[in-house]
Amino acid sequence: MNVRIRFFAQFGELFGSEIIHESVPGTTLTSLIKGIAAKNSEGYDAIFDKNGAFLDFVILMKNGRRIDNADAGKTRIADGDEIAVFPPVAGG
Amino acid sequence: MIAIQTDDVDIGALIIAAKKHTTGAVVVFDGIVRDDDIVEMELEAYEDVAQKELEKIAEDATTQFNLLSVDIVHRIGRLAVGENILIIVVSAGHREEAYAGSRFIIEAIKAGVPIWKKELTKDGGRWVPGKHRHGSGTKKT
Repeated sequence: MNVRIRFFAQFGELFGSEIIHESVPGTTLTSLIKGIAAKNSEGYDAIFDKNGAFLDFVILMKNGRRIDNADAGKTRIADGDEIAVFPPVAGG
Repeated sequence: MIAIQTDDVDIGALIIAAKKHTTGAVVVFDGIVRDDDIVEMELEAYEDVAQKELEKIAEDATTQFNLLSVDIVHRIGRLAVGENILIIVVSAGHREEAYAGSRFIIEAIKAGVPIWKKELTKDGGRWVPGKHRHGSGTKKT
């Protein structure tokens, strides 16, 4: 199954603004992002802490809805999902 | 008009359109690229989501402050010092509602709408840090 992952602001500079990722059914949001970030040590450190948990300020969205970082490990990804990962917003 | 766009907007036309028969006050907020020793500012948005969130904020403000009209135009792309970033025009029966509604909208945008700014300097660039922490996935106001 294919999932679209979008990174914004400094995360976009680290990972690219968009990745189409082939994933296996049952993959969680945390394992999806961790798998992608593992290939980029600077990017990994920008998103995860030393214990492998999302840094507190990292914002996650699935299909336009915010996902609590604490729930990312139990949030399953489905074919066609759009995931967004970004730092605190600074518009206005 | 609720929009995320690269082009500037005619604020005068928005003010004229905001005046209804029962309007007693129109408040305009114009956020501008400030010269903090920068060359330009680059703005990026998660456009689909940001658009929906701006529409929801406008709807909430209208209900909460009895606004007669709301316009929000947030620009993206590269902007020079002095250019408009964000224009909010609200119309209400009385000034208290207009001021409060305008303030509600700008604070809600800053708190949660997925838009980011990068200040471009002679030496490179720096992302403007967001002031709110969102790790819980909930919007902080």
